[in-house]
Amino acid sequence: MLNYAIRRLLMAVPTLFLISLMIFSLLKLAPGDPLSQLPLTIPPEVREKMRAALGVDEPLIVQYLLWLKQFFVIEPLRGFDILFGTHLSDGMQRIISWQTRGPVFSMIAERLPQTLLVVGLAYIVGVLIAVPIGIVSAYKQYSVFDQIGTFLSMLGLAVPPFFSGVLAILIFAVYLDWLPTIYNTNLIVNSWSNFTEQFLQMAMPVMVLAVQTIASISRYLRSSMLDNLEQDYVRTARAKGMGENVVVFIHVLRNSMIPVVTVITLGLPSVFGGAIVTEQIFRVNGIGQLLITAIYANDVPTVQTLAFIFAVLIVVFNLIADLLYGVLDPRIRYD
Amino acid sequence: MEVSDLQTVFWSRRTRIYAANGVSFHLNRGELLGVVGESGSGKSVTMMSLLRLLPSPPAEIVSGRVRLGDRDLLSLDPSEMRKVRGGEVGFIFQDPMTSLNPVFTVGYQLMEPLRKHLGLGRSEARKRAIELLSRVGIPSPQDRINDYPHQFSGGMCQRVMIAIALACDPKVLIADEPTTALDVTIQAQILELVQKLRQEMGMSVIWITHDLGVVAGIADRVMVMYGGLVVECAAADDLYANPRHPYTRALLETVPRADMAGQERLKSVGGQPPHLTVFPTSCPFAPRCPHAFDRCRSERPPLMPVGEGHDAACWWDVIEGSPRDDV
Amino acid sequence: MLRMVSLLAGAGVASLVATPALAERGTDGVVNILSWQAPSIMNPYLSGGEKDTDAASLVLEPLASYDENGELFPRLAAEIPTVENGGVAKDLKSITWKLKPGLKWSDGTTVTAKDVVFTANYCMDPKGGCAALARFQGVDKVEALDDLTVKVTFKELTVVPYTLFVAMWSPIIQAKQFADCLGTKAPTCTEANFYPVGTGPFVVANFKPNDAVQLKANPNYRDPNKPAFAGVNFKGGGDALGAARAVLQTSEYDYAGMLQVAPDVLSKMEKGGKGKLLSVFGTNVETLFMNLTDPSASLPPEERSTDKHPHPILSDVRVRQALSMALDRARLSEIGYGSMGKPTCDFVPAPPIFAAGNTECLKQDIPGAVKLLDEAGWKPGPDGIREKDSKKLKLTFVTTTNATRNQFQAIIKQWWHEIGVDVELRSLDASVFFSSDPSSPDTYQKFYADVQMWTNYSDAPDPGEYVATYTCNKAPLPDKQWQGSNVPRYCDTNYDALVKELGKTAAIEKRAEIVKKLNTILSDSYAIMPLVWRSSVSATSKTLGGYVGSGDSRFWNAQDWYRRK
Ligand SMILES: Nc1ncnc2c1ncn2[C@@H]1O[C@H](COP(=O)(O)OP(=O)(O)OP(=O)(O)O)[C@@H](O)[C@H]1O
Ligand code: SF4
Ligand SMILES: [Mg+2]
Repeated sequence: MLNYAIRRLLMAVPTLFLISLMIFSLLKLAPGDPLSQLPLTIPPEVREKMRAALGVDEPLIVQYLLWLKQFFVIEPLRGFDILFGTHLSDGMQRIISWQTRGPVFSMIAERLPQTLLVVGLAYIVGVLIAVPIGIVSAYKQYSVFDQIGTFLSMLGLAVPPFFSGVLAILIFAVYLDWLPTIYNTNLIVNSWSNFTEQFLQMAMPVMVLAVQTIASISRYLRSSMLDNLEQDYVRTARAKGMGENVVVFIHVLRNSMIPVVTVITLGLPSVFGGAIVTEQIFRVNGIGQLLITAIYANDVPTVQTLAFIFAVLIVVFNLIADLLYGVLDPRIRYD
Repeated sequence: MEVSDLQTVFWSRRTRIYAANGVSFHLNRGELLGVVGESGSGKSVTMMSLLRLLPSPPAEIVSGRVRLGDRDLLSLDPSEMRKVRGGEVGFIFQDPMTSLNPVFTVGYQLMEPLRKHLGLGRSEARKRAIELLSRVGIPSPQDRINDYPHQFSGGMCQRVMIAIALACDPKVLIADEPTTALDVTIQAQILELVQKLRQEMGMSVIWITHDLGVVAGIADRVMVMYGGLVVECAAADDLYANPRHPYTRALLETVPRADMAGQERLKSVGGQPPHLTVFPTSCPFAPRCPHAFDRCRSERPPLMPVGEGHDAACWWDVIEGSPRDDV
Repeated sequence: MLRMVSLLAGAGVASLVATPALAERGTDGVVNILSWQAPSIMNPYLSGGEKDTDAASLVLEPLASYDENGELFPRLAAEIPTVENGGVAKDLKSITWKLKPGLKWSDGTTVTAKDVVFTANYCMDPKGGCAALARFQGVDKVEALDDLTVKVTFKELTVVPYTLFVAMWSPIIQAKQFADCLGTKAPTCTEANFYPVGTGPFVVANFKPNDAVQLKANPNYRDPNKPAFAGVNFKGGGDALGAARAVLQTSEYDYAGMLQVAPDVLSKMEKGGKGKLLSVFGTNVETLFMNLTDPSASLPPEERSTDKHPHPILSDVRVRQALSMALDRARLSEIGYGSMGKPTCDFVPAPPIFAAGNTECLKQDIPGAVKLLDEAGWKPGPDGIREKDSKKLKLTFVTTTNATRNQFQAIIKQWWHEIGVDVELRSLDASVFFSSDPSSPDTYQKFYADVQMWTNYSDAPDPGEYVATYTCNKAPLPDKQWQGSNVPRYCDTNYDALVKELGKTAAIEKRAEIVKKLNTILSDSYAIMPLVWRSSVSATSKTLGGYVGSGDSRFWNAQDWYRRK
């Protein structure tokens, strides 16, 4: 299995290089100007100088190679420095955002906590709620519970977060006045009251995001459970005198979780990617919001770096999903 | 074991399927009862109804009694029922490859009933599991106990299934076409194995099959089912020598015999199997029966004694070549 | 101008005194500011975007600022230099600023004239990409005469010398902090760019680009009783609607600005009584621009949309006038902006002294427009669309993708259709449209269309620079990488001559007279058609005291804010 993993990783390297090249060229081909948001009163000659200072006018190949070097050499060195207190990367030019003139990786590091907390928690909560719903809906197929579950999941999948988010704000913030609409990223949790505050400010975004996860994962688990409930081994387990709990929660669930775990794993890169719309609505200002503002501002270094990190995450989590499949399903072995 | 008037119905959205329509039979201690009948005749449904293994909905056991010892299995509470399953009655299914859970080791699946019914601890259960595996003829069982079902061949899987079914020394073993999915040489081995174990353990066996030939070799008595009904039941040699139901006769004609010159084509029972969507009020075989007459179409023949330990459900007396007038 | 400044400067200062007498520094807790566009850098020289310069104005200060009446008042300067007080040389070739004595940076060190000189060097470094560079153009040298005196010498006679070191775009930065950040090193000074040492009422405590800024009161602020607030929580992200909601409906925040939200939605929110709206009319005018050159795709790229080929339809002033007459500006203003807009005929709508106050364009006159087109030789065709020499009267009309603008497009199309003009509408993403990428065919400067609509504005109260954007030599041309502010390619020697005269005129009344004349010439040319004078709308909570809308920055008087009890 280790061999397989290493081989897959090595195979991913050329793929990722290709992806990085594609991201780079697409961003360069896309129309747009990092200075287009500046006031029209800034005269063209000044704009020209500002563009030059951003390095926009360097030859493309130079820009690309510089970025590669920054991404694969300087930034890792910098990470090493931070971890071990060394000074290897001192004086080297890190990847700098055109918008903030600050290092892109510092921004990512700054935003990852809230994204992981909100989007990650929503994912966990979503999965935790989805699993029992999926099990019960399948086990009691066509029951009232299942019908309601089906209806609500359809709703959950069909209603986009920009609608459900605003609806939640109107209900819980405007009318009931229970929850804040603006996420405070500077809140430090060190006391009970801070914790409550953090809990309250996370409630709505987590809720809105979890609804989507619940809807999709519970549907997925339900159909997987239904498939497995019809399998012969279920009858065998019952014929052995196993109780319904053992049959459902051990025999059927264990099998049904195999594809679901894969789906959950493949969904994880999106947790790191943040949730663009929900982050915007509640001003969580995590990775998703970073990406979207960078796109609007034509902040090419930031967009490029984020897009590439997502590509890496997707490749990595695909591999993890594959390996997990092997772990969960003994019929599949990699050698 | 004694079964009387077992009736099972499947409810689906619009239709009902009458899969077992008042099945009665008995199983003597230590005997092997062969059950034959074409596909869809209700063999599996009947046997699974005995242990209430059919999922409900859609299946519903409408009536009947299943006496095992001094209890009625159909009125046991669920936890008592689970003690019977796997404990007093073992079950083997047709497709061994899919009947085992692919993600658990065979050892785990074998130890499950041991721990549940016999209350064995982990290591004891393991010991006994290895013993059982070697008993059903699996080589080097202490190694294979940690293997997964997909690492076994079909025949080996069925041996594992047999080991599971016999794990707790059941009084009755129900084998639902245990060899249909296997190739011929393996079939013979499994047959032999069951015969051997039956002698060793002294249990009764219900052996469901399509293959009258197989039954002939091993069964003490044979029960023929058609359209969710028992149509004939007799000692094996008696049934073969002296079939009293037109369906049994037709069925026997499909069996290849040693005295048949190889080139003679096998016959199959002509006509379509019956629709099970209505409760039979006439003889279900009537549309295909060469002897059918008015009464057959208006009145359902009950199972009636036609000889010494020989019952049949037919208005026509094949020996006399005339309708039965005594009933 | 010079006299006006000297006269009004005193009044400006007086208006600032209207703050509660009992205030003491840092006693009013934290003020919460919400900006849906969050600041991404605190150094205005590297940004120029209003979201950044506004936020930076809480920390960095120029020598002088404009107040809510568009009048200069001294910040770091002891007084506004004028010819009268000798601060501006009689030949109008230099200006000498005196700093207030005893000024301290937030780190406790003393502010000296060297910092001012350094600021000039920082921005004027050609490799630094300074956004305010235009304000430093024409500067010969900046020198410190002593610790408190800075003299700026211009290469030529400069009638409005208040460009560099004035207003939020050009604050003074600390020489010590930025010493190693000159030229190409400018963008690498992340720490300095995020946490500049300033003289303003607040200091950056925590900067998260595009997300949140925490500021605390500057312990060394020159007025020991100010600011009343102990800190500012500056939060960004989300959209304008949500920002308005957070102030007007949930009262989570004290201030939200740039609320480009439908007017009826805003006024409904305001009725909740938790906050109030404030419209500030600057110089923003939503304007139609006519292309006076031929944008036809059949022309070679180096001639397309250049003065080599006059526009086949729009070069006739009668057609342009007819198009203008068909518009009902009041309706547009009402529909699109409600109380946040006013119909206008002037491209210089403010300050009042410079505004021509033309009104004749406001009345819609469809019959008049029809008559003009008839006269111009455009006769209605069988489908109602006018034709001349078998050429259809058809125009392509581009603007950015934006609900209000696209609504305007549809309405205008309707009106023009009524007078027999066929209109094809297009809308482009703002970042594409306002891009200065010379290879993109869709930029506003390339103008590969017949009509455009966007908002133009002047960033200084004196419109001298602004009116100069429409001189002949400012037309975008291929050999200038399509850069140029004269988007309609308007060219009138009278206009150019007047602009030149304005550049030599210092007297404020004279300047005003010339600007009004320029405004009228341009309006009468119908090359640009001002539609709506737009205000910038913000919302403040009931408990935020002392907020005064305009001024060069939205937060120009943050030192005077307080918590209303
Ligand atoms: N889950 C079910 N839902 C509906 N009908 C069913 C179901 N299971 C079995 N049946 C019906 O019950 C009837 C009897 O089926 P059963 O499986 O008992 O036949 P069988 O004699 O075992 O046939 P085979 O030899 O093919 O196994 C069939 O007609 C079948 O259609
Ligand atoms: S009862 Fe009639 S139809 Fe049925 S098997 Fe007997 S003879 Fe045939
Ligand atoms: Mg069957």
